[in-house]
Amino acid sequence: MNTALPEMLQCSDLTMLERQRDRLKWQEEQFQQQQQQQSYFSELSCGVFSSQTNHVQGFQGGFMGGASGDSVLSDMVMARQVKPDPGLESPWPELGKVDMAAMGFGPCGYGNGPSFDMNHAISRTSSCPPAVAATKAVEVKVNSEKMASAVGKESFKKRKAEKLQNTKVVAENESKRIKSCEDEGEESKITGPNTNKSSNNKEASGDASKENSKVSEVQKPDFIHVRARRGQATDSHSLAERVRREKISERMKYLQDLVPGCNKITGKAGMLDEIINYVQSLQRQVEFLSMKLATVNPRLDFNIDNLYAKEVFSSCTTNFPTLGMAPEMANPPYLQFNPIQQVVPCCGVEMGINSPDMTLRRTISAPVSIPDASFLDSSCLTMHQCSAMQQIQPTATWDVELQNLYNVAFDQGRSTPPFPSQPFAGSIEASDLKEI
Amino acid sequence: MDSQHLNPSSLKSRFTARFLRALIKINAQKPISSSSPREIFQRYRRIKVAADKSMAYSVRSRRTWSRATLWKLRSRSRRRLASSSRRSSIKTRTTTTTTTTTTSTNHRAAIVEKTSHEKENKEDHVGLAVQAEALRELVPGGESMDLCNLLDETAHYIKCLTTQVQVMKKIANLYSLE
Repeated sequence: MNTALPEMLQCSDLTMLERQRDRLKWQEEQFQQQQQQQSYFSELSCGVFSSQTNHVQGFQGGFMGGASGDSVLSDMVMARQVKPDPGLESPWPELGKVDMAAMGFGPCGYGNGPSFDMNHAISRTSSCPPAVAATKAVEVKVNSEKMASAVGKESFKKRKAEKLQNTKVVAENESKRIKSCEDEGEESKITGPNTNKSSNNKEASGDASKENSKVSEVQKPDFIHVRARRGQATDSHSLAERVRREKISERMKYLQDLVPGCNKITGKAGMLDEIINYVQSLQRQVEFLSMKLATVNPRLDFNIDNLYAKEVFSSCTTNFPTLGMAPEMANPPYLQFNPIQQVVPCCGVEMGINSPDMTLRRTISAPVSIPDASFLDSSCLTMHQCSAMQQIQPTATWDVELQNLYNVAFDQGRSTPPFPSQPFAGSIEASDLKEI
Repeated sequence: MDSQHLNPSSLKSRFTARFLRALIKINAQKPISSSSPREIFQRYRRIKVAADKSMAYSVRSRRTWSRATLWKLRSRSRRRLASSSRRSSIKTRTTTTTTTTTTSTNHRAAIVEKTSHEKENKEDHVGLAVQAEALRELVPGGESMDLCNLLDETAHYIKCLTTQVQVMKKIANLYSLE
């Protein structure tokens, strides 16, 4: 066993198929000859086998395809391996992994013939009739079940995995089995969770789980891994189409969430109509609002320089002080209110312009909101201002920010630039800053 | 409700900043107390363009529709510049405009060609072709996409449009509060 192993392991040139075939042959021999090693190995293989049987059976078709790179197969093998064998610490991990594949491959190879020749192995595998493979798969499954029962906890783990795998494989196998050697649908060998497909397949295969898993699918050399479902055509074109259709339905669902009032509508045509209407209405709304902005434009006497100054200070992220603190006047953030102070006498709209801009300064928004309430209370707002501010009842957080800044700016910008803590109190600093 | 921190790099913030800046520019150009409809209409057009432009810029070139919008705007401005600067020389103007138009038509022709080709290859919803066409017209840059990508772009476009409408509504509200 030990000698045989390295031999096989050294066959780096061989494809996975060959190696597995070889290994299988060897294993069978071992099986007959060495009980002890066999038992361990069988444990290994059985445990692996039982869990991987279905996959392996699937692999059989894959191996028959033969053209796929070793890496792909090994990846799959590894992937399959990982799940059921967390505790499988074999002294020859590689062997174990390969064995898994090999075991699956075994029956097929066995059925093909005793030839040990590599080339023959490949040729045999490629020419292996699916019927044979199917029967072998059945046998294998039976064997695996037997062996699984004989094994201990490893098999338990693997059986669990087997169930998981079972559904997948059954899903694979549901499609026309006999055509497997050809351009059959492919297993989804994506190791990453292909949740959509796997879940679909699990559901689909739930019905057919009682069926015996049979080898069905050939792994294509291409790498679009799609799982063929029961009763569906499995040529490449229809598969690709199916993938596209699924993608499109995914997106339609997402759009359904975006477009309000689309929950009741089923069917792509109706949905598309709704989407078109919604996009049209949004575009019309934009036009209407821009018209409104054009007409409602107030007299603007603002200073562009001030606005640019605001931009300059936009990066100021220092803690915006509570409005009542004098020393903070020198803080750059306060400077942002300068334009407002100048503007306010002209019209409140400027603050409308400025405040949304300022709301974008993250630091301002939060601290502003706190002192704002108290400030409002203490300040002597004109009724007009009060009503104006009350009109803008914030419904969304963003509105709140706007509102708060609007209020603050408004209050601050009243006639004489008041020191924030004192309503209507002129402040030297404020006027100084105003010059900036 | 608690004040959440605005994400300064969110789409909304970016769009708002840009749009406000554009608005200010537009308003600064023509301090409007006059209400001549023509001026208003001009301003309306400019504001609309500014809104679309700022939204497209906020999205950069990450999306086909934003790229198409920006391209459209740029070509339009180029055409306008060309026509206005070369008004004297008719020949040159026609050449320029024709070149620009030819480039645009070539571009569009290429797009259409590609579209039809793609459609032939990947058409599996024959029944939805009509609506897909309508959607293509609505979404900028939608002519050159198959249904799958078109839906993707539409989703993003809808998201951006809703943001745009939201911001503009708020600004309009603030404007109207005098």
